[in-house]
Amino acid sequence: MLMAYASVAAFFLVAIGFILGSLLFGKVIRPNNMYAEKLETYECGEAPVGPAWFNFNPRFYIIALIYIVFDVEIAFVYPVATVFRRWVDAGRGMFALVEIFLFVVILMLGLVYVWVKGDLEWIRSIKGDPRGVQNVSSRTRPEIIKEHDLEEAMPQGAE
Amino acid sequence: MKTGLYLSISPLLVVALGGALLMLAEAFSHHREEHESRSAGPSSELALGTAITLFTGAIFAAAVWFVGPEKLDGSQDLAPWLIIDRFTLFFAFTICVGGGLASLLAGGYLPEHRIDRGEFYPLLTFSSVGAIILAAAGDVLTLFLGLEIMSLGVYALTGFRRGSARSTEASMKYFLLGSFAAALLLYGAALIYGATGHTDLAGIRAALVAGNLNYGLVLIAVTLMIVGLAFKISAVPFHMWTPDAYEGAPTPATSFMAVVVKSAAFATMLRVLLVAFGQPELSSWGAGWPPIIATLAVLTMTVANLIAGRQESVKRMLAYSSIAHAGYILVGVTTTMRLHEDGQASVMFYLLAYTVSTIGAFGALILCGSRGAEAVSYEDLSGLGKRHPAVALVFSLFLLSLAGVPPTAGFFGKLYIVKGAIGAGLYPLSVILLLNSVLGAYYYLRVLVFMYMREPAPGAPFARPMKSGYVTSALVLAAVAVVALGLFPTTSLEVAVRAALAP
Amino acid sequence: MEALKSQFPAANFSLLAVVLLLPLLGAFVNGIFGKRLGKQGVRLMALSAIGGSFLASLLTFLMLPRGEAAEEGGHLAWNAWHWFTITGKMQQAIPIDVSFAIDGLNATMMLVVTGVGFLIHLYSSEYMWKDEGYHRFFAYLNLFCFSMLVLIMADNLALLFVGWEGVGMCSYLLIGFWFGETKNASAGRKAFIVNRIGDFGLLVAMSMLVYYLGTLRFSSIDLAATNLSVPVKIWPIGNLSADTLPSFVAAVILPKEPVMVYASTLVGLALFLGCAGKSAQLPLYIWLPDAMAGPTPVSALIHAATMVTAGVYLVARMGAVFILSPAAMATVAVVGAATALFAASIGLFQHDLKKVLAYSTVSQLGFMFIGVGMGAFASGFFHVFTHAFFKACLFLGAGSVIHAMHVRIHDTDKSQDMRNMGGLRKYLPITHATFLISCLSIAGVPPLAGFWSKDEILWKAFSNEIAAPRTVNGLVPWAWPTWLGVAIYWVGIVAATMTAFYMFRAYFLTFHGDFKGWTIVRGWTDPHAGHGHDDHHDAPHDDVKGDGPEPHESPLAMTIPLMVLAAFALLAGFLNAELIHVAPLGHLLEGVFKADEVAVHERAAAHGKEMMMLVPGILAFVAGIGAAAYVYLQNKGAQETAFAKSFPRLYKLIYDKWRIDELYEATVIGMVDALADIFQMADTWIVDGILAKLSAAIVGAAGTVLRAFQTGKVQAYSASMVIGLAGVGWFLVRPHAVTSIDDTKLKQTGEVVVSAAPGFGYSYNWAGPGLAPTSDFSATREITIPLQPGDKKDVVLQVKNAFNGVDTQTITVARPGKKAAAPTPGANPMDDLAPGGKVVIPGDKIPDLLRGLHQ
Repeated sequence: MLMAYASVAAFFLVAIGFILGSLLFGKVIRPNNMYAEKLETYECGEAPVGPAWFNFNPRFYIIALIYIVFDVEIAFVYPVATVFRRWVDAGRGMFALVEIFLFVVILMLGLVYVWVKGDLEWIRSIKGDPRGVQNVSSRTRPEIIKEHDLEEAMPQGAE
Repeated sequence: MKTGLYLSISPLLVVALGGALLMLAEAFSHHREEHESRSAGPSSELALGTAITLFTGAIFAAAVWFVGPEKLDGSQDLAPWLIIDRFTLFFAFTICVGGGLASLLAGGYLPEHRIDRGEFYPLLTFSSVGAIILAAAGDVLTLFLGLEIMSLGVYALTGFRRGSARSTEASMKYFLLGSFAAALLLYGAALIYGATGHTDLAGIRAALVAGNLNYGLVLIAVTLMIVGLAFKISAVPFHMWTPDAYEGAPTPATSFMAVVVKSAAFATMLRVLLVAFGQPELSSWGAGWPPIIATLAVLTMTVANLIAGRQESVKRMLAYSSIAHAGYILVGVTTTMRLHEDGQASVMFYLLAYTVSTIGAFGALILCGSRGAEAVSYEDLSGLGKRHPAVALVFSLFLLSLAGVPPTAGFFGKLYIVKGAIGAGLYPLSVILLLNSVLGAYYYLRVLVFMYMREPAPGAPFARPMKSGYVTSALVLAAVAVVALGLFPTTSLEVAVRAALAP
Repeated sequence: MEALKSQFPAANFSLLAVVLLLPLLGAFVNGIFGKRLGKQGVRLMALSAIGGSFLASLLTFLMLPRGEAAEEGGHLAWNAWHWFTITGKMQQAIPIDVSFAIDGLNATMMLVVTGVGFLIHLYSSEYMWKDEGYHRFFAYLNLFCFSMLVLIMADNLALLFVGWEGVGMCSYLLIGFWFGETKNASAGRKAFIVNRIGDFGLLVAMSMLVYYLGTLRFSSIDLAATNLSVPVKIWPIGNLSADTLPSFVAAVILPKEPVMVYASTLVGLALFLGCAGKSAQLPLYIWLPDAMAGPTPVSALIHAATMVTAGVYLVARMGAVFILSPAAMATVAVVGAATALFAASIGLFQHDLKKVLAYSTVSQLGFMFIGVGMGAFASGFFHVFTHAFFKACLFLGAGSVIHAMHVRIHDTDKSQDMRNMGGLRKYLPITHATFLISCLSIAGVPPLAGFWSKDEILWKAFSNEIAAPRTVNGLVPWAWPTWLGVAIYWVGIVAATMTAFYMFRAYFLTFHGDFKGWTIVRGWTDPHAGHGHDDHHDAPHDDVKGDGPEPHESPLAMTIPLMVLAAFALLAGFLNAELIHVAPLGHLLEGVFKADEVAVHERAAAHGKEMMMLVPGILAFVAGIGAAAYVYLQNKGAQETAFAKSFPRLYKLIYDKWRIDELYEATVIGMVDALADIFQMADTWIVDGILAKLSAAIVGAAGTVLRAFQTGKVQAYSASMVIGLAGVGWFLVRPHAVTSIDDTKLKQTGEVVVSAAPGFGYSYNWAGPGLAPTSDFSATREITIPLQPGDKKDVVLQVKNAFNGVDTQTITVARPGKKAAAPTPGANPMDDLAPGGKVVIPGDKIPDLLRGLHQ
């Protein structure tokens, strides 16, 4: 039985060998001529202005999450649409309709929630933040909004 | 339309529907984002709403219990994805009670500590939904679904105190390790599906009994699933996240995790071990899961109790103590291999007793600390017995119950576990359990010593109890339950025995 | 009364709920709402609760079955509810109920607890008036009464234990009531630790009773107690035998014959350990004197009148068990006698008034244990009864004195120091009179209460002998030597003498002579520094009133209890004055102890000497009081010679006493000091050091090591999970050859069944004599091996698992020959499972954790 996996193993070996081999090959044949500009991080031809490790605006994540929710909705609803006729013929059409309706309603609830919460707007003001409305664009490095200002930090217990 | 079906899953429906309504109510309420200038925060309504939702769920669970799920036409329609039996109902009841009490605690805690944001309540409710699904799951797919619904909410609850680095760190750790454990569980489920061709637990068992399959694959799957479940009940050595997460989370969330998540995880652990892996070869004392569970139990009890004794923070002590209790319950799980019903009944009774005692203990801790004077260390509690006798009295009651002092709920929990273990011939395990309860008594009684026998050092901060009708009512309910379970343990034990899964 | 009887039938006597719930209600209301109620409200609540409880107890007492019904063991029973069920040795269900049964013994106890309790509540309501924790105090006190009532009314040991722990908790809370002072907190801690040792004994006794008798109900224990007359092997324990130990170890620790004792002795000793802890007997008495750090009424109620006598009550209640074991009885009596003497000797030289009373309590508890230990349960209990009155009165009197002293000096230690008192007779007439009556009573002056009870005990010690129970399985029970009772009698006499002496020493120092309190306030340092302990030689003779306020008599709420208690201390003896055949209480108790006292006989040699043996008892108090009077009253000067002339014979005795006193000066004081130092050290090193610190250190060190792994690094956490995963996986992929042996059929068929634990994907291969040799692995999990007596066979089991791993185990099954069976070391004569021999499993590979399964 294990022999059945031999082809997989061979595939892995060939893949690893190919990568290592081509890297090694390049290393051997390329000219080694280093200067300052060449050693810089590649940034689409722009000169880098700081380290790449900084906080992205969390709004990206929220939008991505909302996107995924509706992506999943399509992934579910579309197949149902394709077989719905057959279900109707089998006499389960109403049940399926109600089911899929419930599913969409639940997702709608989520949409309503995000909407009401203001998460569909890119620019959002946070009350209590002394800096007021801020346009936090993607490429400026955002100051992390310190919520310590908004909420009391938890008293730290003795370890 | 099968009314019986909807009736039988009514506890789940009530809680889920309630959660959705609470979510909308929170979103449309006028309190949002008004941090400083409000008169009453969202907690004032939502806590009550959540408690009502969850307690209604508990009432429905109890009602279906009394009617008898087997009498409801269609109650088995969702099997094996959701199995509505007395076992499920017992756990649904425990989960709802635990969640309801935790939401009452939040109703006092969140405004007091200025983290009064309404998301807490829908998150808590949806987590409870996940927990009920988990307890009812008879199929590894729904099991995973329930686990994730429950866990995602709890991750968010852990990091609820957004400004606090500790809370965020705790949430992150919990999330990372939780994903790791969930992956292990899922991997185990995949392997077992690969080996048996079944995802439903009964089918898996049938395939295992029939034999003629890849035994090695099954054993690895068993390993992975046990580890995945052991993480959720925070058994040593899969417990490391627990103290950090419990301490970092806001205390109501901690109590929710300690109680609801643990109950649901034990429910599913029992179901997986007894239904899917319940055949003699896998539940053999020689080479099956019982020795593993027994070893986990010994490690969990001993390590947790030893570390708990060294803690200076009461909350962290309670976190370790809840790990230790998982160890005691694991002894009950081990017992099920020989005493099928008694073992399960002892686990269920213990969980019920543990739920009310632990919620009570965390609740008393919450009540002890008002804004800026949260009771964190033992010293903070000095002289509480003199300044606030009622608070100190209920706190003592819950701690005594956790320590297993008669005649409280905790005593009978331990008694039944030990009785079962002795009945199953697990003498060394029972002795270790008893020795561990002595260790445990040390740090529980230490709180009492501080409350009744010490005065705060001059100038040192000391706990100033807050005033909250929510917390008070939760404590009263829990205290009544602790005393009632202590004085009339037989009734609830009989209920638990009837709830046991069929062999 | 008839209406009441129909309302509360004897079999469902729910009136007891009133007795119990009133104090509980009081505790609850005062504890929760005390602050809002105000002091008057708290007082009203506490007093009415305990008073109501007393009235209900009185009704209960009056409704007890009388006459023949009582002698037949008639009682009042109330089964509140079924509590829980445990499983016995034979898998039988043993119900544990919340139920109460009242007979003469505990009905009397109820009256004492609620009656004396009421008086002390009344007293405290005044005594504690200025305390800010007023409501807390009464909540605890009411809770104590409730727990004590549960303890004495319970009809089974489990419920008794609840009360037992409850009173312990209240005592702990009340000792530490003024927890601001570290001394009090540490006293509370000491009481806590010592009592846990005692509780351990009680728990062990309960487990053994469940094991041997399958019941915890007193009535069933009485009936089934004879089942405890079985020999039990106590050494070597378990399967420790020459086979399992290295030979040189075996030679040292294994006796030739296994050490056997009767189960009744074990149960009795374990019970007595519990009693000794609660009732402050040697060597567990150390907590009681320290416990007097609590408020004085607490000392009176809990640490003198009621809680500490719970041990005596328990021995009396469990008389049926004790009577089966002369050894346990002798232990009780000897420990009691030793305690009586030892505590009395300490009491001689205490300066603190409450300390004197504390040691006197310990000593008196010793007397009670002499009584119950000598099989005179009724007499022992009667001393509990009388002691409750005079000792409560003494403590309350001391409280009254301290109250008065507080006028002069507000310091706990100094206001209790007798060297600062003297002459208080003038200022506290009522306290003085009641204190005197109680002193006379405790000293055993006829016809006061103490005389009747104490002399009854001493007489029974002299005259009783305990018949040995029948011999079972050839184990001859320990016999009670004749001299032991006589020796205990004389020890008791000596202790009684000391009692009289130190009580009157306290009395004279406190109430006679000149009040030294005047000197305290005027730049008082310590006039006694550098002098002897009894600083009376150079006491000033000027009885001049000093400056400042003078001590005054306590208010009525405090003196009424004193007077009532003194009246009882005066008269209660006539309830059981057997000497003059007036013994209503004795008749009441007869039914309770009738069955227990069948084994107790009067020695022939003692017959008719009752009056004669009274003489030493009388001489004891005469000597004691006389000596005290001589030393502390007369020796100040003028009347000394006159005293000697008026009572020449008495003087001679006092003279003797005086010589002992000198001897003390020279030697015993040093010895007592050294002893005190030793006990101090034992306290510091053993109780605080080893018991508390060492165990805490070990646990702490382990905790620290384990905590080091809790680094907070998520990588470390997941690494730990991976290790755990690997461990679980390792266990599951390894084969495990585990066997179990079923020898239940050995007797009938001569066959043993060996079975291998099943494992997923396992196959098995067996090899051994009588088995067909094969190299194949099969699904055969069980084999049957025939064994003749004397046979010994090795069986080899190989197990192969799904990963082709193989594990091997060799099992040796042996059946000793019939003749060799009897003296086999390790064989338990109790074990009748395999009379033809027992399967020995050497080379057992089963890990310890699993061993239990194979028994």
